[in-house]
Amino acid sequence: MGVRGTGPPEGWEAPKERWLSTVVRPAFGPRSLLLEVAARLLIPAILMLSVFLLVSGHDRPGGGFAGGLVASMAYVLRYIAGGRHELAAGLPMRPNGLLALGLLLACATAGLPLLFGKPVLDTAKLELVLPVFGEVKLLSALVFEVGVFLVVVGLVLSVVAALGARMEAEEAEARQEQEIDQARRERRRLRAEKEGHE
Amino acid sequence: MNALLAVPLVVPLLGAAITLLMRRTPRSQQVTATISLAAVVVDAALLLWHTWDGAVVVSQAGGWAAPLGITLVADPMAALLVLVSSVVLLVVLLYAIGQDIGGLSRAMPQVFHPIYLVLTAGVCLSFIAGDLFNLFVGFEIMLTASYALITQAPTRARVRASMIYTVVSLTSSILFLTGIALVYALTGTVNMADIAGKLGAAPPELRMVLALMFFVVFGIKAAIVPMHFWLPDSYPVALTRISAIFAALLTKVAVYAIIRTQTLLFVRDDVTSVLLWVAIATMIVGILGALVQDDVNRVMAFALVSHIGFMIFGLGLNTVAGLAGVIIYLVHHIVVQATLFLVNGLMRQYVGHTSLRAIRGLTTVSPALAVFFFLPALSLAGLPPMSGFIAKTALFQAAVTAEGGWLVGLGLAVGVLTSLLTLIAIFRIWTRAYWGTPLPDMVEARERLRSGPNTSGLRIMTAMTGVMVATGVAVAVAAGPLAQVSFTAAVDLLDGGAYVEAVLGRGSG
Repeated sequence: MGVRGTGPPEGWEAPKERWLSTVVRPAFGPRSLLLEVAARLLIPAILMLSVFLLVSGHDRPGGGFAGGLVASMAYVLRYIAGGRHELAAGLPMRPNGLLALGLLLACATAGLPLLFGKPVLDTAKLELVLPVFGEVKLLSALVFEVGVFLVVVGLVLSVVAALGARMEAEEAEARQEQEIDQARRERRRLRAEKEGHE
Repeated sequence: MNALLAVPLVVPLLGAAITLLMRRTPRSQQVTATISLAAVVVDAALLLWHTWDGAVVVSQAGGWAAPLGITLVADPMAALLVLVSSVVLLVVLLYAIGQDIGGLSRAMPQVFHPIYLVLTAGVCLSFIAGDLFNLFVGFEIMLTASYALITQAPTRARVRASMIYTVVSLTSSILFLTGIALVYALTGTVNMADIAGKLGAAPPELRMVLALMFFVVFGIKAAIVPMHFWLPDSYPVALTRISAIFAALLTKVAVYAIIRTQTLLFVRDDVTSVLLWVAIATMIVGILGALVQDDVNRVMAFALVSHIGFMIFGLGLNTVAGLAGVIIYLVHHIVVQATLFLVNGLMRQYVGHTSLRAIRGLTTVSPALAVFFFLPALSLAGLPPMSGFIAKTALFQAAVTAEGGWLVGLGLAVGVLTSLLTLIAIFRIWTRAYWGTPLPDMVEARERLRSGPNTSGLRIMTAMTGVMVATGVAVAVAAGPLAQVSFTAAVDLLDGGAYVEAVLGRGSG
């Protein structure tokens, strides 16, 4: 199942289920079933928590920054369990795109009040009574927070992509070269043996 | 008012987001970046127009009133510096675009444009931040962008330089944050206008410790001796467009922060003699370093360190005339330093390197380049009728009229000596690189460059360097109004009343 050299030890019965969405190619060492299952169970909960932090951040601890960090931890966990392919499969767009979109959203909501003669970052408020939630207060600052959230996720994932994933890709490349070298040496040895016999 | 203060932050960041999204189309990236910076230039000009008579413009972000909310403030000094910085940023951007069009650089434009715009936002925020914490945020935005910029087109030398640069900058940032925490513990506020009122009640020893702490923090970033060692090691190896902006702006932002904190927050008499001693050491050590360098960029980097000393000297005089001199000097130096680095960049384009050992006869190779070097170089040394002469005269005049005893006299003498040594450093470059018969491979390189498939890029670069030179001349021509606004700003700074009243008083702007 895994890439050669990173699979489970001989004689160990490899799990057949795919717990993560892509073919499993763990970033670090052999595949860990425990980590895969844990990641699969935890990621939705972590993402829910990050949304909770995002929404509750207006007047309680939390906000876009904290929420974004928590959400990016979910993706980092996914990366550790499944490697860079898994990370890429789990993202709606490239980290740079997230970063740009978040920045755009944040700047637009920060600058919009200026058009109405209000100071920068001014907020508008909308109070609603919804059937299930009861009284809900919606602030335009929430859109700004969503922007911050996306910026943080984009930035953390860019860092992961630049440091972890690229290193991993280079390592895979180096390993491949090593294998080719080994094969070449083997062939040379065989040829030498053959010539020796003749 | 609100919009004027928000534009220098919001527009570059918006531009950064858009250029990041348009990474596949270089032309639209260039257009977006240019429009964003042009908008900041126009905005800064309006801001200066509003503050011309010494008014202080205030905007409370989100409508949260002063000591609690985020306050953006522009007094004449801040507005003037935002204007000069944005003009330099715009011209250097156009220079970089020319270089990219000509295919003459190994920078990655799709990465360069967004980060450059983020740097712009950081520089502007540092100038107009009304509280210490946002000053810190402005610094961090600027520095984080600069960490990314300094390793553009990475080579072994650049990665090494960026390590030094990043570690030193982070150290100063940690000290900065610690200092803010201490100030907050002492006064319960981070709003600078508010602190100014409350620090008076604090014990004088404690106040002095804080003043010196902030001086060290910004002193590291401004590269004053003995905390200058990182600058000549890191700036010269970066790409031309980047070292030009770093040399012109980043150190000056730190000098601005020194002026702001030392005039607004701390009782100045405590540290005046320290400032003067440091200024004297900076001037002389910097220029002695410049005299023994063999690389044009390194000469300029050491000269930069040396001339920071002049600004600290003016601040140390602790008079209106001294501060006005510093502000004129800041404007002059931002423009001249950027010009000289752009000229060195053109030289690198023609010759392939910037080492004085293997350059001769640049005057014959490119007469325009020689003129572009000669004018700002004379200005740097302070010869009339260039802007450097006006700035130095203002400072020396202030020193003569100041009451500071022998230390001021010593500073004055060292200042004059440093100007002379700067002249020697410049003539060293002139005689070695510009005079004589050009080396054969230099002529060949010029022909190759001029007959290349795309010469419009080189033409844009030369034109933009010319624009920078012209800006330097314009600073000299506009010396009258410049001196006037500098004096207004200096009076505001030393008095501090208008600033505090504008921020705390008629609150929501």
